[in-house]
Amino acid sequence: MSFLPLAHALATRQDLPVPAWLFAWGASIVLIVSFFALSAGWREPRFEQPHSRPFGAGLSRALLSLPAQILCGAVGVFLFGFAIYAGLEGTVAPDRNFALTFIFVTCWLGFPFFSAIFGDLFRPFNPWRAIGRAAGAGFRAIAGQRAAHLTYPERLGRWPAAVGLLAVVWLEVVYGSGGAILEPEVAATAALVYTVYALAMMAVFGTEEWCDRGEVFSVYFGMFGRLGIFGTRDGRLERRRPFSAATTWATVPGSAALVLASIATTSYDGASEGAFADFIETGIGWCEDIGLGITASIRLTDTIFMLLTFAGVSLVYWLGVRGMRTVPGAPSLAKLRTGFAHTLIPIALAYLVAHYFSLFVFQEQAQFTYLLSDPLGTGTTDLFGTASSGVDYTVLTANTIWYVQVAALIVGHVLGLMLAHDRALVYWPDYRRATASQYWMLAVMVAFTCFGLYLLSVSNG
Amino acid sequence: MRDVRKLVLALLVVAAAIALAACGSSDESTTASGNTGSGADSGKPAPEAGKPGSPDVPTVVVRDGEPVGGVQELEYSAGEQIRFRVSSDKAEEIHVHGYDIAKDVPAGGTVEFDFPAELEGIYEAELEGLGVQIAELRINP
Repeated sequence: MSFLPLAHALATRQDLPVPAWLFAWGASIVLIVSFFALSAGWREPRFEQPHSRPFGAGLSRALLSLPAQILCGAVGVFLFGFAIYAGLEGTVAPDRNFALTFIFVTCWLGFPFFSAIFGDLFRPFNPWRAIGRAAGAGFRAIAGQRAAHLTYPERLGRWPAAVGLLAVVWLEVVYGSGGAILEPEVAATAALVYTVYALAMMAVFGTEEWCDRGEVFSVYFGMFGRLGIFGTRDGRLERRRPFSAATTWATVPGSAALVLASIATTSYDGASEGAFADFIETGIGWCEDIGLGITASIRLTDTIFMLLTFAGVSLVYWLGVRGMRTVPGAPSLAKLRTGFAHTLIPIALAYLVAHYFSLFVFQEQAQFTYLLSDPLGTGTTDLFGTASSGVDYTVLTANTIWYVQVAALIVGHVLGLMLAHDRALVYWPDYRRATASQYWMLAVMVAFTCFGLYLLSVSNG
Repeated sequence: MRDVRKLVLALLVVAAAIALAACGSSDESTTASGNTGSGADSGKPAPEAGKPGSPDVPTVVVRDGEPVGGVQELEYSAGEQIRFRVSSDKAEEIHVHGYDIAKDVPAGGTVEFDFPAELEGIYEAELEGLGVQIAELRINP
């Protein structure tokens, strides 16, 4: 039985598992760092107040001007449309078709990585938002009034995005597993179906409303953008203290679900061939025994395990929240659950870096060489003269990859602890109680970080 | 009083950390010494009368487009030579991904791969025409 999730269909290469000694040192550093974080914690919140410096008025106006917005939106729509065209018309070989690498590597990994540094980069290029705004402007021009929208139900919050995130990753790693490789055509069709859904929702609730809450890619990439240093406020660009914008992110229901879904899906993708491989194999056997076909068995088992991973990750967080509730003076469970959700964003980012950093580095070489020159994979086009270039796998040694993976998890852990400590100081004005509540979040973070290290250290396959 | 408790806790944490690191290291050394074989010890038929000087070159046997005994795991260290043979009952093209080396094996014949292990990581070897993986090459640093 050979599983071929998308990453392998594209790169046909896997990382070596992190060796045991590095795993042990990583986990040790996590424990030591956590202890000092607890004892040396500061007594005033440092990230909760906005710390920012606005850009010069001229520069800000130019970058946010309507022509600039239209240009960025047009670029987004063009690239998205081109990816769909390549998926429908190009080769069925996943690694030779522009569509899969562009959607699942360049965008799906690139926007989180770079937004976490620079702020939300996806918003200006979001093709659905661009189409929605253009349609809105067209409607106003013709009808002479603004389109009427339903009020977005507050209780839904970010739940549609959280469910959508699970669905996107399901398509990527479950639907495309078990020999049934995700074909470019299927991905392109799914993108078209999603486009219809997103535009319909924008028509119902309004473009910006839906992008803020329900549009999976805006919400997901925007979440990581909260860690970054550039943002807008009151129509003006600003440079802000890193990570400080994350503190205002988790204000609506479903925020915790979204960030937990991110951690869970990355974990599942990493574990499906390593830590969970034997269990999944057993599950597939059971499904076959009750008479399901092989593809159906694999997909059903994988789906169940992905949902179980989500449930397990959520349970760890929920236990931490329950624990914090026992500290005198704690706010309600609902407030705690949402209020600490943003402290997991660095952990979610660390998981992404740890699992996909090497894939990103290698596959972007393909993106900017042969996939750019021969996007349909026909073997006959060579737009920029780079069609015959390949991926240089020597740019990263196994040691480099290991150190980046472990360092990412440790840094994510520290950032998560910092944000959680800060938030506790807001909820518990008494410094000692705030610290007491943080034993619980510390346990949650140590669990996630050590689980992440464990996944990296398990031999796959 | 509080400070003493903190100190004790700190010492415990550091002790636990060192213990963890230490047992991790010993784990590593045992697996390293116990696992130096090249992974072809899974009941394969002995390599066909190949070159006399290389009796332990592993052979991946392919029947009806499937590797006999499942995907074979072959392990190497960076810098050494990657050597293995593929024998098949049908004519196939064998492709080693990443290294991007392809060789044809004739029906009922054997083909030998012999190239330096320059890229670290886990790479697939597959039957190019069928897209079936037959071996997994692990190149450790």
